[in-house]
Parts: sequence; structure tokens; C-alpha cells
Amino acid sequence: MAHLAQEVLIEYIKENQEKLYRIAYTYTKNQETALDVVQEAITKSLENINKLRNEEYVKTWFYRILINEAIKATKSDKYFIEYESATNELFSASHENDLVENIDIYTIIQKLNQKLKTVIILRFFENLKIEEIAYITKTNANTVKSRLYKGMEEIKKEIGRRSV
Amino acid sequence: MSILKKAKQTYNSIEIPQELGYVVNRAVHENKVHKRESMRTWLKGATATLATTFALFVILLNTNESFAKAMEDVPIIGSIAEVFTVREYKEESEVELIDAKIPAIRNTGNTDLENRINYEISSKINEVLEEAKQRAEEYKNAVLATGGTMEDFIPTQINIDYEITYQDEKLISFVITKSESFASAYQEQYFYNIDIENGKELNLKDVLGANYKEIVDAEVNKQIAERKAQDEENNLYFTPEEGGFSGIDNEYQEFYINEDKKVTIVFQKYDIAPGYMGIQNFVIPNEIII
Repeated sequence: MAHLAQEVLIEYIKENQEKLYRIAYTYTKNQETALDVVQEAITKSLENINKLRNEEYVKTWFYRILINEAIKATKSDKYFIEYESATNELFSASHENDLVENIDIYTIIQKLNQKLKTVIILRFFENLKIEEIAYITKTNANTVKSRLYKGMEEIKKEIGRRSV
Repeated sequence: MSILKKAKQTYNSIEIPQELGYVVNRAVHENKVHKRESMRTWLKGATATLATTFALFVILLNTNESFAKAMEDVPIIGSIAEVFTVREYKEESEVELIDAKIPAIRNTGNTDLENRINYEISSKINEVLEEAKQRAEEYKNAVLATGGTMEDFIPTQINIDYEITYQDEKLISFVITKSESFASAYQEQYFYNIDIENGKELNLKDVLGANYKEIVDAEVNKQIAERKAQDEENNLYFTPEEGGFSGIDNEYQEFYINEDKKVTIVFQKYDIAPGYMGIQNFVIPNEIII
């Protein structure tokens, strides 16, 4: 009953809109683009609702669409991203002597490559299970785990670099 | 990983633009489909999920043969319930040095309890070891990929050990600790508090009674204040706003029973204080009620 699936999806989207926006924003680093991404993901998901086979998968299924849209948006918006990272760089340079605890780890995460960023956001910020992340990223649990590990290593390296 | 705690706070405080609700409603409204479709696709999906769940369960049950064997080899000595090393596992390769002592319980007079707990311990340790080995492998690959050689490479040491913190004829409490040499952030502890007579794992409600939360919250807050007063410069607990202690969540908060038969509440590194302060323990002076 696609109709029922649609109701479940719409309810899910409405209840979680802030969460969805935060995920989008972590990729786009920009309010306008993040709103576009959320809107585009809703459109895509409703158009393809007949592909959602099981109510249980609403969340992971929607996350997959949302993240694809977010990555697509950042690719077409390259100039902006590079400009953003440059300002982040400047900002962090002025805080060189801060303790590890004060380094803005969120901005480090924003700058990770898409694959690593995706697993870190989903695992640690959205508390998804490894299996769910594997489904969303169309990989397997081992790949997710090794990306998590790599992501953490990148973050630690960056903290090390900034706290010297 | 608690290093991300602050980042998560930043994440959760990302400003939500006012127009979000409007954008969402419009997108939903414009794309809503009203026509009905058959129910078949929906049901098919549900059956598939159920099948996957069963497959996973079977695989899990089958992977523990070596553990079952090790259990058979152990002779029964005396009749006092105890925690003992069921398996000692050493592995040395160019990538990692593993030294794992795996505990199990026996002679409790309750086979179901023993099987359940021992199975749980062994699965937990297998899982933890696998993850640690994978990290070690990744680390090696990272060293090689960045132009290092095997000579520069220091193998990761992975240790698993346990400590019995309290034991009498009714109660066993022990802690399993896993550590990895190259990152102290990877130290983890697992706690087991077992009521032998009733064959169950104890939670805080069982040992401190219905008021467990009030008791623990008050005592932890009191001791945090004392420690802060003792050394203001170094004992920098996070405030509740920073993600510090704001009361325990439920009766499954981690704890062990210490040698004086007192509940000791444990917070892992970074949980309520900066990493350099390490694991934080709080002894609750109340008599336990079992």
C-alpha cells in the first residue's frame, strides 16, 4: 500500500525536519543550499515512494536520498565550499594555542571527505547502527567500520596539527 | 567516541532557519500522490526482513565453536562459584601483539546462567578483538601508504584482562578491560555483577533499591564538588551544559562492587570530565541490599 508508505514517510519527514536539515547543512555549510537539499530530497523520495518496501526502512531509505542530494549539491557548488574552508582555516589559525578540548571538532568533521564524513555523522551524531549505515551508503559493515576508523584518525591527526 | 561530544553539541545547535517548516510543507504538498496502489510490495519487503534476521542469528550461533570446546576441557574443581581464565590467547604478528585473558564463570550451580554469561563474554571479546585487529591493520596500511616502511612501524598492542572486584557465595563482580597501545581513547571496560542465587545480572535498582537514582545522583554530585574543591586547577569536570554529569540515565549505569562490598559507579574517559582525568569512579557508601 504505497499510500500508507507515503503517510509514514510524510510523518517521518515532518517530525524529523530539523534533524534532516542539520545533516544537509553539515555537507553544504550553507543555509540556502541545505534548504534546497532538504526540499529536493523530499521531492525525490515522494516521487519514488513505490520503491520503499518496508516501513522500518523509512529512516535509512530517506537518509540515503538526503545524503546523495547533499553530496550532489556540494559538487555543483565547489567554489563556495573552497571559500568556506579557507575562512575556517583562518579562523582556526587564530586559536592555535587552545587545548584539544576547545578545538572545533565539528568544523574538522565538516571538512572530511564525503565518505568519511557520512559515516561519522550517521554513527556519532545520529546514533545509527553500523548495519543501517552500510545500507545507506550501499557498502558493508566492514567498510563502514574501517571508514569510521579512518575518519577518527583524520580527526585526531587534525587535532594534533592544530594543537602543536 | 567521546572526543566527538563537543562536536555533537555544535551539531545539535546548528541554527534552524525559520523557513524550514515552510519549505518542508511545500515540498510534501507538491509531491504527494493520492492514488492507491496494491499492498503487495509492502508485504514482500516485510517478509524479506524477517528472513535476514533469522540468517544473522544462525551465523552468530555458529561462530562460537572454539569457545564451546574450551569450556568442555575445563575440569570441575571444588564447588565454589568462581571466575576463571577459560582461554588465554596470544598472537604476535608484524601488525599486532595480542594478549587476551578471557574469563568465564563456573560452579554457580546454575548452568543456564553460566552459559548465558559466558557466551555473552566470549562474543563480546571476539567482537572487540576483531575491531581492534582491524584498527591495527588500518594503522599499518596508513603508515605504509604515507611512505613509511615496516621498520618504522610499531605493532599495536592489544590487551584484554579482567579483575574480580568482589566475590562471595552469593555475588560475583568483575571488570573486563581492553586496551590498545597506540590510542588510550580505545581503552574500554565491561562490567559484570552477578547474583548467583537468583541467576541474574544485577543492576543499580537491585543493589540500591527503588531510590537508586536519588542515592547515586546525590553522592556523585557531592563527590564531584569535593574533588573540585580539593584541586580546582586539575579537577575540571564538565558542567551539565557542557555534557557533564547531570544525573544517571537509568539503573543500567555502569558499576561494580568493590572489595568493601560497596557499589562503585564508573564513568568512562571523556564521559563527565576531560580525557586527561581518565576513568572516574565514585564509591557509594550505602549498604547494598542483596
